[in-house]
Amino acid sequence: MGTLTIGVFSSLIGSMNLDFAVKLSEAAADKGHNVNLWLSGNATILAQKGQKEFLDYSYLIEKIKSLQEKGVQVGACEACSEGRGIHAGDVIEDITFIGMDWYVAKAAKSDRVLHIGVE
Amino acid sequence: MKLGVFYSELRGNHDVLFRLKAEKLGIFLVSNGIYHAIIKEKGEPSPVLQKQGADYYVLSEDLQTRGFSTDEVDSNVKVVTYSDIADHIMNDYDKLAWL
Repeated sequence: MGTLTIGVFSSLIGSMNLDFAVKLSEAAADKGHNVNLWLSGNATILAQKGQKEFLDYSYLIEKIKSLQEKGVQVGACEACSEGRGIHAGDVIEDITFIGMDWYVAKAAKSDRVLHIGVE
Repeated sequence: MKLGVFYSELRGNHDVLFRLKAEKLGIFLVSNGIYHAIIKEKGEPSPVLQKQGADYYVLSEDLQTRGFSTDEVDSNVKVVTYSDIADHIMNDYDKLAWL
């Protein structure tokens, strides 16, 4: 088994890239791989507590919790979050609220790295 | 280098794709990139499918989300699931890119 690190910068609403990153993380975790998921830029919105489910919006909070239960480590960029008014207390439990060095360190030790930029 | 490229847009930058060089190249059509596995322009397959020596894959879930069935997919493109993609990227391609 190996380690996959995915960094995603796309937004939760209006983009499919974050859905893709979460689903690929789950598929890799189900295969027994170690997975790190880094949320940066608009993707940090996914780390925010209290999101509400709407019919045609991506609603990934439950998926994130199930990923964490499967051992996926999720990190959210502190600067990008704070820049969007998301503070440490607003972040879903067990999501690491930290600087980008977390992502760089994880990527450096990974077998595979997939960086999904902004559209 | 064994490179796996994720192509996620319909009107993306083909130029970058055609400049890529790799010992082994896999192109994964995901999100709106799946249209390249389906569409014909003037009766011809999408230019994205014309990268010499590349292996092409298309994500089945993104096909179905957009109302396509697997038998509409170009014969040079292999239909895969997320699980298959996890296997391919962990076993067959050591570098990954997102276009």
